[in-house]
Amino acid sequence: MALGESDRLATFYTREFGKVRGVAKSARRPRSRFGGGLELFTQGQLLFFETERSDLARVDSFDIVHPFQAAREDLERLMHGSWVVECLGRLSADRDPSPALYGLLLRTLRALEGPGPPSRAAFCFALRAVDLLGHRLRLDRCMECGKPSPPPARAARLDFAAGGLVCEPCARYGSDGVDLSGGAVAGLRRLRTVSWEEALGASLSPSLEAEMAGALEAQMARLIGQVPRTTRFRTQAGRPLGASR
Amino acid sequence: MAYYPEPVARLIDALQKLPGIGPKTAQRLTFFLLKRPADEVTALSDAIARVKAEIVNCSICFNVTEEDPCRLCTDPTRDLRLLCVVEEPNDLLAMERTGQYRGRYHVLLGALSPLDGIGPEDLRVRELLARLEVQPVEEVILATNPNVEGEATAIYLAKLLKPLVARITRIARGLPVGGDLEYADEVTLGKALEGRREMG
Repeated sequence: MALGESDRLATFYTREFGKVRGVAKSARRPRSRFGGGLELFTQGQLLFFETERSDLARVDSFDIVHPFQAAREDLERLMHGSWVVECLGRLSADRDPSPALYGLLLRTLRALEGPGPPSRAAFCFALRAVDLLGHRLRLDRCMECGKPSPPPARAARLDFAAGGLVCEPCARYGSDGVDLSGGAVAGLRRLRTVSWEEALGASLSPSLEAEMAGALEAQMARLIGQVPRTTRFRTQAGRPLGASR
Repeated sequence: MAYYPEPVARLIDALQKLPGIGPKTAQRLTFFLLKRPADEVTALSDAIARVKAEIVNCSICFNVTEEDPCRLCTDPTRDLRLLCVVEEPNDLLAMERTGQYRGRYHVLLGALSPLDGIGPEDLRVRELLARLEVQPVEEVILATNPNVEGEATAIYLAKLLKPLVARITRIARGLPVGGDLEYADEVTLGKALEGRREMG
């Protein structure tokens, strides 16, 4: 499809069709009928047409249902929300619907608008998204020897290639994964079983949450095949200008 | 493109690298150029070569210029108390066309974009800080685009510049002149309401 200079390429995540990429004609013009509808995080009703000569749909209209504006107007919320949509966009195929993932995305955006820390919303999204995308890691036993997972005091290795935890004696040096404390293993197991609201409100020490979130970020990066661009942005935005790279 | 003579294939290939130009358009432009008089095509190639050879970024504001510092930075009639921050040189030209702004500029050469991995170190933010330390201003106007990237940039800069500048303002957002309320979406209309002004 020919792309004019005022046209805009947009990616939507829809309940019925999954990821849809399309061209919104003249969307960059100040008086475009799309208005602010094509801004990041906006929930709306999409009307699109398939085109025979392109994989890109032709976007006819996108009427705003909820703009999730608060998630865009705070840098911290924007960073975590962008990480969420980047992971979802890169791990889902075009036209592969998943109502559960769609629901998870909406819940996450609502949480990003709420009073809670945005990092928790992104962490809870990642924890559930890897399951829904079919990449759930086994945390209840060692993937090598089959012994039950370590007690809380013992560390273990989350081996992505093995598909879950590997106990200390079985862990291979340099394998693709991250080391986890017993507390983090227990925390991840617990947060997978509790409700969304309980996971968002669970009391966690900052170091434990950072450890668990780090493991999930590493898994996401492995699934995507590279560190997400939003992670690079977050690293830059979080350090003073002029600090070493 | 084995069926094209080598120079034709080379030009099609080069034109395709330009934004918004696909293989068909590149092909059409190439054959259009082949039909034009030689002096016209030479003038075009000269213009392209000259713009690359003679145009630089101003070392103060980062606008595109033939002489460094640029005319705007050396113009004594400009108001030194005002500094307008824009994303690209094109935005600076748009601001100049209004004829309502007489201060100086700072061009960031981009905008923060989490999804593209463009962070503060990729823009001329460090240079902006250094400039404000040497030459303080009374007001910084953040004139980045009213989209997610522009807003993120404005939020980031407002926080960063707060200790350095007494007044930080953001250009108004809302309805376009000549627009209809009926057709405005709720985000745009909400912004217009937010930025309403007293009359009379």
